[in-house]
Amino acid sequence: MISGRSNKKRGFIEAFELPPQTLPLLLWNDHPNDDDDDDDRKGVENSSFIAKKNDDGYCIVGWPPIKFRRKKICSHNRDDNDRTVLHNGSARAGVGGGVNPNSKYVKVKMVGVGIARKIDLSRHHSYQTLTNTLINMFGKCQQDAQSFKLAYQDREGDWLLAGDVPWRTFIQSVERLKILRIGG
Amino acid sequence: MGYSFPEEVLEHVLSFIDSDSDRNSVSLVCKSWHDIERWCRRRLFVGNCYAVSPAIAIRRFPELRSVSLKGKPHFADFNLVPHEWGGYAYPWIAAFAKAYPWLEELRLKRMVVSDEALELIAKKFKNFRVLVMYSCEGFSTDGLATIAANCRNLKELDLSESEVDDVSGNWLSQFPDSYTSLESLNITSLSSEIRFTALERLVGRCPNLKTLKLSHSVPLDLLPNLLQKAPQLVELGSGLHTKEVHPDLYSKLAGAFSGCKGLKRLCGLRDVVPSYLPTLYPICFGLTSLNLSDAPIQCPELIKLVSQCQNLQRLWVLDYIEDTGLIALAESCKDLRELRVFPSDPFGQEPNVSLTEQGLVSVSAGCPKLHSVLYFCRRMSNVALSTIARNRPNLTRFRLCIIERFRPDYITQEPLDVGFGAIVEHCKDLKRLSLSGLLTDRVFEYIGSHGKKLEMLSLAFAGDSDLGLHHVLSGCKSLRKLEIRDCPFGDKALLANAAKLETMRSLWMSACQVSYRACKLLGQKMPRLNVEVIAEQGHPDSSPDEYPVEKLYIYRTVSGPRSDMPSFVWTMDKNSALRSS
Repeated sequence: MISGRSNKKRGFIEAFELPPQTLPLLLWNDHPNDDDDDDDRKGVENSSFIAKKNDDGYCIVGWPPIKFRRKKICSHNRDDNDRTVLHNGSARAGVGGGVNPNSKYVKVKMVGVGIARKIDLSRHHSYQTLTNTLINMFGKCQQDAQSFKLAYQDREGDWLLAGDVPWRTFIQSVERLKILRIGG
Repeated sequence: MGYSFPEEVLEHVLSFIDSDSDRNSVSLVCKSWHDIERWCRRRLFVGNCYAVSPAIAIRRFPELRSVSLKGKPHFADFNLVPHEWGGYAYPWIAAFAKAYPWLEELRLKRMVVSDEALELIAKKFKNFRVLVMYSCEGFSTDGLATIAANCRNLKELDLSESEVDDVSGNWLSQFPDSYTSLESLNITSLSSEIRFTALERLVGRCPNLKTLKLSHSVPLDLLPNLLQKAPQLVELGSGLHTKEVHPDLYSKLAGAFSGCKGLKRLCGLRDVVPSYLPTLYPICFGLTSLNLSDAPIQCPELIKLVSQCQNLQRLWVLDYIEDTGLIALAESCKDLRELRVFPSDPFGQEPNVSLTEQGLVSVSAGCPKLHSVLYFCRRMSNVALSTIARNRPNLTRFRLCIIERFRPDYITQEPLDVGFGAIVEHCKDLKRLSLSGLLTDRVFEYIGSHGKKLEMLSLAFAGDSDLGLHHVLSGCKSLRKLEIRDCPFGDKALLANAAKLETMRSLWMSACQVSYRACKLLGQKMPRLNVEVIAEQGHPDSSPDEYPVEKLYIYRTVSGPRSDMPSFVWTMDKNSALRSS
């Protein structure tokens, strides 16, 4: 049923008013009232397009289009921009802060998502960057962040809410992470 | 018939024909050629693992040695495809295990590969040589251990960009001492500590090792030893990070690099210490490919490095290179063919570096062989795009990402229609295009009239109406893949061009305005398409038919609806009932 398009180009209007022989899908020909007027659809919220067509690009899932792995590096760079000072012969390593030999990967599970992920906590220095990255990792947008809470399992096996203790203490005792819905 | 061509002769002739499309043409000549060709085809490429079933592939090509499979749609890279959508490799591998005991190569992209699947590969294919898993997930280092322990003839193991459940680094020690055939190893995506001694011994006993791309956990101290054991390396990926700067280590590294006279491709350099960069200078002249997209090196050091790479053909770099760095690149690297500039701070509101459209214009002017571009920036103008188009009519891939959505021409405040129009008009061999910035339906008119060789088009936040989509679907004769997000395209253009969809590999539309009704209609009337509706918020039946679907993935197939869909994906088939509104 490949359309036998002739070289003669049909105008757009023509294409829509007359169903070509090979395309019996233009049912709107039978419903002449369904014309270009999309009024009954304007009320429909189609999530990201209408809701987010404004300023802040950060809250859009998948925008800018960079792969997740690269995002981890970028948030790391952003955090360390204030601390990157390289002196000749000093013990400081690199623009990145040189924390790699001490990388700390922990498993993260999100409620409702089958596959767990892993995150390198050594690349973060605050709860804020951690939650930002986690939200992105699971494909949610920043606005949704408010409906989730982060819990962690410490060395003793207890599950606690993240954010109650100073970051340093958290980092030393966290073994795994879990993202839960608030109220659930 | 006295003059019929002996099979053996034809088979011999065909053994010189590698290209899939040529072989496909051969198989259409007549029945006997079809038969001879299918028996001697050794490589198969399946661009969409759901377009055909393993059984059909096996029935047609009984003697394959090498298969490439692709699973999830490209937008999965940006988290737009829900995690459990599909793309499972196991059914393919299980079928191949029975049909192709002599299978040698498997290349998988964006697929879910379980440890069980890896175990099958390890145990069932006696002559297995090449395993490439690009951007895959679902397996752990346990699966890798089985591969290492069993695949005696493995030449290539490539895990680029894959997400691996990194249980332990010991898997590398599973390669037996008698194993010496490794030629290419890419484990950049692994994070756990690997046993360095095992790695050293492995590298030392594999004389044909040409590609070694390591994870960042391998510290700088180890590198000189590794390089000394493998001076024949052609491609290296390494972190080059260290906590301290030793003068000793510096000279050892410099010596080791100079010993690698054949090194052509370099990547990694994550967290590199800038003061170590000069150790690379002796090899710069020989480099043809440099991937610094993980390396937060600033402009001055970048310029010093890049200006010594006069034979560079491919450069991937962060926007730290800035316009000045790109000007230096344009002056030094006249053989440059591919440039990718990635954003160092994609989510920042303000530009953090001085990289604008000028950098790209300079490179387009100075590098006559440049044909592939991926460029992230924060401003663009129509005049710059037109200049780039006129400078480089030989562009085949052009992907521009202006970080803030809906950005107009920064000089005139006009949409960027005319600029992109110039690109498609002048670059007659353009195969891949990604748009960004403020765009109206007009840009699609240009694309439809000029983009005759365009095979892949990516759109986001662009256009005004269905007319835009109609121009693309009706005009782009060679279009194979179309991916769209957040554009005001709806039912009309899609239904008016329904037949076009059978000539394409796939169409992705998310956050557009295609109604559930239109999806059902397409599914009903086009049996050779799978029209998959993805609705994580709930079954689309729970809203009126005229409501738009969240995400839509349409692809041609000879295997009908797939049977492994998760609960939030529905295939519209001929039984989809149309409800009256």
